[in-house]
Order: sequence, then structure tokens, then C-alpha cells
Amino acid sequence: MDPTIKDFESAIAELESIVKTLEDGDLALEKSLALFERGVTLSRFCHTKLEEAERRVEILNERGEIKPAPPSLAEGDDRTR
Amino acid sequence: MDLFDIPFEDEPAEPAAQARIPERRIYTVSELTSGIRGAIEDRFAEVWVEGEISNCKVWNTGHMYFTLKDGASQIKAVMFRSAMRYLKFKPEDGLHVVARGRVSVYEPKGEYQIVCEHMEPHGLGALQLAFEQLKKKLQADGLFDRARKRPLPALPRRIGIVTSLDGAALRDILKVLRRRAPNASVLIRPARVQGEDAAADVATALRMIVKVPGVDVVIVARGGGSMEDLWAFNEERVAKAIFNCPVPVISAVGHETDVTIADFVADLRAPTPSAAAEMVVAAKDDFCSRIERLNGRLRAAARADLQRRRNAVHVLASRRGLAGFHARLAMRGRHAAELTHQFRSAMRQAIETRARGYRALRQRLEQRDLARRLAAMKGRLHVASGRLEGAAGRARHRADSRFRALAGRLENLSPLAVLGRGYAVCWNGDRTAIVRSANTVTAGDRVHVTLADGEINCRVENGSNN
Repeated sequence: MDPTIKDFESAIAELESIVKTLEDGDLALEKSLALFERGVTLSRFCHTKLEEAERRVEILNERGEIKPAPPSLAEGDDRTR
Repeated sequence: MDLFDIPFEDEPAEPAAQARIPERRIYTVSELTSGIRGAIEDRFAEVWVEGEISNCKVWNTGHMYFTLKDGASQIKAVMFRSAMRYLKFKPEDGLHVVARGRVSVYEPKGEYQIVCEHMEPHGLGALQLAFEQLKKKLQADGLFDRARKRPLPALPRRIGIVTSLDGAALRDILKVLRRRAPNASVLIRPARVQGEDAAADVATALRMIVKVPGVDVVIVARGGGSMEDLWAFNEERVAKAIFNCPVPVISAVGHETDVTIADFVADLRAPTPSAAAEMVVAAKDDFCSRIERLNGRLRAAARADLQRRRNAVHVLASRRGLAGFHARLAMRGRHAAELTHQFRSAMRQAIETRARGYRALRQRLEQRDLARRLAAMKGRLHVASGRLEGAAGRARHRADSRFRALAGRLENLSPLAVLGRGYAVCWNGDRTAIVRSANTVTAGDRVHVTLADGEINCRVENGSNN
């Protein structure tokens, strides 16, 4: 991933300010294009982040160890229907 | 009741009549005090007393000294640390309480006091009072400040959950997450949520779970119950643990109508555990649509920006003066280009012609005679070409005419031009010299005559110089 993007939240914040700047207009053409390109990069980054992450249900025990949760929890109990 | 009506154990049980000449029974102060103490402690081994607390002071030993009073009287009171521990609320001045204890005498000072074992607020339940007291205190300490409430993260890498492993709360939360956020990662830190150790357990769990990298939000949850059941979430240590969490905490304790201290401290209060899960997911949904909107605005802004520039150019270009200028500019450009082209091809042609001429002449014209002129010509041609190029760079339309003039002059200098005018050059037989005099040839000699477009081989019929 783009090393200039710190994390999701900062990407959104930057995207927001870019859009505002562009909407206000009055920029040099080069600046405007550069901002647009940056905006597209940020927007892609956000989309990718939204899609990634994987489902996991884990338990942190008293010794500070992380173990997978029992299937009854992780997969859900159909009796609750 | 008069204290001295009570007979002392060691008092002789003689009839009162004999007291007329009383046998003097003299006590020491200690004996008397000790006697009083015994009498009182026997008589008031366990009493309930109702009154208002005043002069309340907790010493650093943990014992609390205070006075209980009503409209007419007061009694000194003490509550030792061991008993204080079990108090849910904090006794304070002005509080109307019911206390249970025994009356005792502090012999060194001859003071009697009630040693309280237990105390509850009068009228209000102890828990309710404790709740109000803690709420007031934490509010004053700034634990509920709106300004410190943090927004939920859009994409928690891990959703932390602190609750009982076998409670309905956990199942409800997981169910919502399964449905609404199928790829979420969840970390559960089990904790007892009811009973004596619950508060300590929940506090520890909170501290532990936020140390795990990636836990960006924590739900602390418990199903519904009585105030006693939910009590852990009204304790200061849980409130402090929530307050000290470095990430946002959602409190989801009890049902919608149950309010706990934890709810006030948490960044967000969920009416139910399911609702807490919905909140976490909603934050993501929010961000999804926010990105969509931003993306749309980004593209719209870029389009608008381009359109604006296009319009600006168009407006400028269509102003009359500028339009004329523009047209003139275009014409100039075209004109210059044309001139350049013409000039180039004219020059190319001229040079080629010259080169052809030069090649033809080189062998045939007498070197000494023409070489110098050719060299000079070449030099001049070179200089002229250079000047022409320079001139072209500066003003092409002028260069054109200049070139034509120069080309004309070059033309005049060319031997070919002389031949072109009808003159011929006559060479001797072995082409080593030009025949300049009729005397140099005799009848029968072969000569070569060079014309503008070729050569004639001739034999001399007769030679004469007229």
C-alpha cells in the first residue's frame, strides 16, 4: 500500500480536505490535477480497507493469551432462532 | 433512663433501709468507669439508632468518627474500617441514617459512643444513595464530560468485548456482528458481571483487552437485571477503568431502562448489547457512504474544474480583439510556415543546382582560373546560407526576399549562367587547357566545346585569327 497514507481515518480526512479544496476551485491546473490524482488514490485505499479484514472470533484469557473461541460462539448457535 | 439505677454486679445487695448509715463504698475512677462500661455494654449490646450524621471524619486508619444527633441529643459514634468496607454508599454530614451497633465506653476519656457495625440511609435504598453519590462525585471529577467522548472508529481492526462468556449479551452481540459485519474480527475478554468480584474483574478485563494490538473499540456488556445484579457497573473502579481506556468504549448494561455509572462514563451508551453491536457496524456503514459521497464529489469537482478552465479559455478566445489577434496569429504562423517551406525548398534547389554545376565544371573548367572563383563562391554561398538561416530565424518573410536577392547574385556569378547566355568554352584535345586563341589550334586538332547543357566534340577544319 501507499506509504504516504497512514491509516483509514487519516485517509478519509485528507480526502475530505482535497474535495473541499477542489470544490473551492481557483487552483493552478497542475495543482488541481495532482490533488485529483491524490484523491483517487486515497479513495481506492479506503475502498480496499473496507473490503479487507477477516472474520475471527477469539478469546483473551486471564494469562493474556489469545485463543480461538469455541465454535458454538464463533459460528453462532442456531437454537437462538 | 438513669444509668445509676442499674445495680452493679459487685454492689452489696443490702436493703435500702440499712443505707441510712451507709457503709461507704469507695470506688476508684477506673473501677467506676469499668463498672459503667460493663453495665452499658451488657444493656446495649445490639441497638438500632436513627439520626443525622454530623462531624463526620474518616481518619487515615480508615476508621470513621462522627456524631449522630436528633433535635435534642447527640451521641458519639465510630465505624471501624472493617465495617466501612461493606458500605456501598459514603456516609457524610447531613445524611439521615439508621445505624446498627453496640454502645461502648472509651475508658481513658470516660466517653461513651456507639460502635456501628452497619448503616443504611434512611428512606432511600443504600444502593440508590451510593449511585447518586458516585454519580455526583465522578461528574465533578469530569469523568462524564461530553468533550472527551470519542467517535467510534470506522474500521476497528478488532472489536473488543468484555462480558460474561455464557451470557445472552455476548450471543446477541455476536449474532448482530455475524449478520451485519461478516468479516469483523472479534476479541472477547470474559469477566464475571455479577457478584462480589465482578467490578474488579470487569476493570481488569478492560485494562487487559485494550493492550491487545488492534483493539480499536470495546463493548462492555451485561444482560438486564436488578440494581443489585448490575451493581458492578455502578462501582468507581469500573468507571475509572472505562475512563482510562485509550479507545472508545460502548456501555451496554442491562435493558433500555437500566442506567448505570458505566453508561455515563462510556463514550457511547447502548440501550442493549445488540444495539451496541449495531453501533459498531453503523460506524462502518457511515464511512462507506461517506467515502462514496467523497468520491463522487471528488470527480464532480475535477470535472467542474476542467469545465471552468475550458469556459475561461473559450470566453477569452471569443473576445473580439483577441479573436482577431488569434486569427492574425494563426495567419502569421501559417505564413511563416509557408515562407519557411518555400525558402527551404528554394535554397535546397539552389544549392543542388549549384552543386550540379560545380560537379560538372570541376573537371572541365580550368582549375586555376575557376578554382579561386569557385572557392570564393562557395565561401560566399556558405556565408550567405548562414545569413539566410539567421535571417529566417528572425523574420522569415524578409528572409525570403533576401534569399531571392542573394540567389540572384549567386546566379550571376555562376559560370553556368554565362554558358546559359550562349557562351561556350572550348577545350584542347586532351582537355588540359582552354582554347583562348585561334592560333593555338591547327586544322585536324580535336577540341571539346562545353555548352550550358553538354559538350560537343569537334575537329578543327581550319584555324585563323582574324
